[in-house]
Amino acid sequence: MTDESSGIGPPSASSIRPYLARHGDGPAQQADDGDDPNVSPLRPYLLTAGRSEPIDDTLEIEAQVLTNQLDAASAERLAFEHRDIVTLCATPVSVAEVAAKLRLHIGVARVLVADLAAAGYLVVRRPSSGLPEDLDMIEKVIRGLQDIR
Amino acid sequence: MDFKTYVEPTDREHRPPTPVKIVISGGFGVGKTTAVSAISEIPPLSTEAAITSVAAQIDRIGEVPAKTTTTVALDFGCITIDRDLKLYLFGTPGQDRFGFMWQDLSRGALGALVIVDTRRLDDCYPAVDYFEQIGLPHVVAINCFDGVLAHDIDDVRWALAISNDTPLITFDARDKLSVRDALLAVLRRTRDHAKERMLNRYRT
Repeated sequence: MTDESSGIGPPSASSIRPYLARHGDGPAQQADDGDDPNVSPLRPYLLTAGRSEPIDDTLEIEAQVLTNQLDAASAERLAFEHRDIVTLCATPVSVAEVAAKLRLHIGVARVLVADLAAAGYLVVRRPSSGLPEDLDMIEKVIRGLQDIR
Repeated sequence: MDFKTYVEPTDREHRPPTPVKIVISGGFGVGKTTAVSAISEIPPLSTEAAITSVAAQIDRIGEVPAKTTTTVALDFGCITIDRDLKLYLFGTPGQDRFGFMWQDLSRGALGALVIVDTRRLDDCYPAVDYFEQIGLPHVVAINCFDGVLAHDIDDVRWALAISNDTPLITFDARDKLSVRDALLAVLRRTRDHAKERMLNRYRT
């Protein structure tokens, strides 16, 4: 577990940690556990420099992620998965979709999204707190489902 | 405050929708993915998730319980309610492992649909127990594969030993409208729960 008090606060660095941006070179060919051809051959935790907990480890898998337009241009500088995520999130998708579409382990997707959001590349919309008690919201979902034919 | 936005979106146009979710649970092969496929607007996606469990045996050298990590597939789909609201359906992976994945899936969920196959009733016990314990509104839905229920529904309720206030319904996981109605049953349950809690708050 990361220390939450230091983990959740506003990002002090304005860019992606340098060691995260340079992960793609060597170890790719070491992939010897090719159980599932659909999964990236990189060992997942190489992508996250060994961390398995996102900066903010409460990030929900359904949280919506959208590329921050202001930073879309600077995304050119990003490498590999980071850039893929910024490209994918041009329309809002969930953290779970980021994982599925880029064939990343969900824990890895969470870390990468959290990092990119902290660095300002992504806007993240999280479920509002107290949602299960929000009657207006529940009614809205009910009406939306009723419209399905 | 637990929930926050990383970057406060200023521009309404450029704001991601609010996500809500319902958990789809039940034993292996009861039709969770079928149900998600039937109603999801995107083909169900699958992603890898890790479940870490502490092995029962203790490693004799270090006297530290050996940890094993199992990778499971997490299937999910989604329904756009409107521009500002998206409903996700997450199928619980594995039938009887309650690692952090289950907490992740249940945290903030509106409710859960527990799918039951009457030929293998036992498979759904862990899920029902879990949702009862954490107080997540849930509905038990018998998947009638061929449209007919082999048992009387009251017999099934008795066999499942679910409380009388837990709705028990039948549905067909292959049929879009049938899945819609099952999800609506979950949401009505969620609404009732929310109302009860509000009333209790007024009383105290």
